[in-house]
Amino acid sequence: MSAPVLEAPLVRTGHRARRRRGIVVTTALAAFAFALFVLTMMVGSYVLSPWDVVASTFHLSADPAVDFIVHELRLPVAVTAVAVGLALGLSGHVFQTLLSNQLASPDFVGVSSGASLFAISSIILFGMSGIAIPGAALLGALTSAVLIYVLAWRQGISGYRFILIGIGVSQLMSSIVGYVIARSDIYEARQAMVWLVGSIGQAGSPELGALLVSLAILLPVVLALQRPLQALELGDDAAKALGTRVEASRLALLSVSVALIAFATAAAGPIMFVALIAGPIARRLYGSAPGGLLAAGFVGAVLVLASDLVAQHFLPVALPTGVVTGAVGAPYLIWLLITTNREGRGG
Amino acid sequence: MTGHDLRTERLTLGYGADDIVRELDVQIPDGAVTMIVGANACGKSTLLRGLARLLRPRGGAALLDGRSVHEMRSVDVARVLGLLPQTPVAPEGITVADLVGRGRYPHQGWFRRWSADDDAAVTAALDATGTADLAARPLAELSGGQRQRVWIAMALAQETDLLLLDEPTTYLDINHQVELLDLLTDLNRARGTTIVIVMHDLNLACRYADHVIAMKHGRIRAQGAPEDVVDADVVSDVFGLRCEVVPDPVCGTPMIVPRGRHHAERMTPELTAR
Repeated sequence: MSAPVLEAPLVRTGHRARRRRGIVVTTALAAFAFALFVLTMMVGSYVLSPWDVVASTFHLSADPAVDFIVHELRLPVAVTAVAVGLALGLSGHVFQTLLSNQLASPDFVGVSSGASLFAISSIILFGMSGIAIPGAALLGALTSAVLIYVLAWRQGISGYRFILIGIGVSQLMSSIVGYVIARSDIYEARQAMVWLVGSIGQAGSPELGALLVSLAILLPVVLALQRPLQALELGDDAAKALGTRVEASRLALLSVSVALIAFATAAAGPIMFVALIAGPIARRLYGSAPGGLLAAGFVGAVLVLASDLVAQHFLPVALPTGVVTGAVGAPYLIWLLITTNREGRGG
Repeated sequence: MTGHDLRTERLTLGYGADDIVRELDVQIPDGAVTMIVGANACGKSTLLRGLARLLRPRGGAALLDGRSVHEMRSVDVARVLGLLPQTPVAPEGITVADLVGRGRYPHQGWFRRWSADDDAAVTAALDATGTADLAARPLAELSGGQRQRVWIAMALAQETDLLLLDEPTTYLDINHQVELLDLLTDLNRARGTTIVIVMHDLNLACRYADHVIAMKHGRIRAQGAPEDVVDADVVSDVFGLRCEVVPDPVCGTPMIVPRGRHHAERMTPELTAR
């Protein structure tokens, strides 16, 4: 063995190797998301080359026809897909890690159904529009989250209790949505049903604006909170013993995730399963490397971009994005339920 | 010796409506191994949680170097005082080296991330606990004894002068219990680390402790060196157990032999003569 002795401890703790893997995985996912981002803008009734798309997006050339297609038609949709995917992936990963359970994603436990209920009600019952809708969605997501938290609180929060109560709250919100739709006229009901499946293309500019602003603010915040999140994974006692301010960190992490899922839902409707599956996929790719929050966000972006691409272009008829994510996510959920029970990871 | 002073002043702790620990004054001897013993629900784990600032006092205070631990910054406490909780949670799929590295949390910050000091501390902790060969393995694949050594390695990587452990030998077989207590004794002898352990097994507590604190109903019933403290009266009072206390044949520390209801007449003549 000719390896220098000094290197031995570094190799054994393996921290650098794990961090390198983390950087490689995150970069690769970001590159993949960017490729899909460009691809979604290439396809359509008029096919553009990758160079046309990139040049027009970043204002490197000026071709009025291409600029019209990219800036007016395709860029807003692609940006929405990236932003919604990032928000869903980050939010899901934080929830799942905090509650140390893969079922504990905000779309599964009723945070996004709270956002849907308030958004739908604001449109149908109060005739609101524009920036008021993301506001209503945020209020709804917060209401759901607070309701679940209060009902599940028993000397702390445990995974399964939180999830079961979350499913209950989700059902409650969905049934009220049903009632609200039943009271609306047929045109509004149709609109609401489409909205409820979730579609990237439906985002108006106020909703997209709200989502982008919130991402610009919340993304750095959630990345800064990744450190306490890693301590909280070890349980409250261990986290406290390591010097984490447990209650403050958890409240901050939950608030940020609730806000992210609320703005994403306001923009594109409740796109199911992305928040649920982004985290576990990122974790699989990350292996044993710590962190993976940003990777989960990029997986979310990849999932939404790919689903929207399939939904819009690769099916006989164009469908809302949520149909595709649902078709992928539902079997995964069933698999998750089966394996979670078999391993007996109650929580 | 660590030069740190950990004690409580009229400390009252509790959950819900009940006070578990009542107006307790205790001084943890510096640089020694202290074992807290007592029956179930006597408040020994609660006291440990109070000392480690996991539980806010209802009255009085836990004082580290004269300052209430609840008024200190959490990171400042965590650099001096480490705790291994009874049931820590291992994140899914985590490897041994990664978990041990989490012990470095209080030494890192927003801008100061992983450094050579962290590598050195993790390596030392892995070596001290004999887990260096397991470093790349996922924790879930290890046996109970190995896992417990890894958790202790995480607490060691925190590099604190005081280390508190809540029933670290639970779920371990006798062989691993002894191994673990030997390891903690090594740590105490080599680095002078002050160690406080909540312990169920009285015989092992007597053998490994420099100082025993026997608790009953949230108060201290007796404390001191095991030879001075542990006798049949104290055990009978604290645990409600009729027993004989004989010298441990290996090292002469007190050893508790329970009587029970069924075996009283089968005592050996030499014991009856005592």
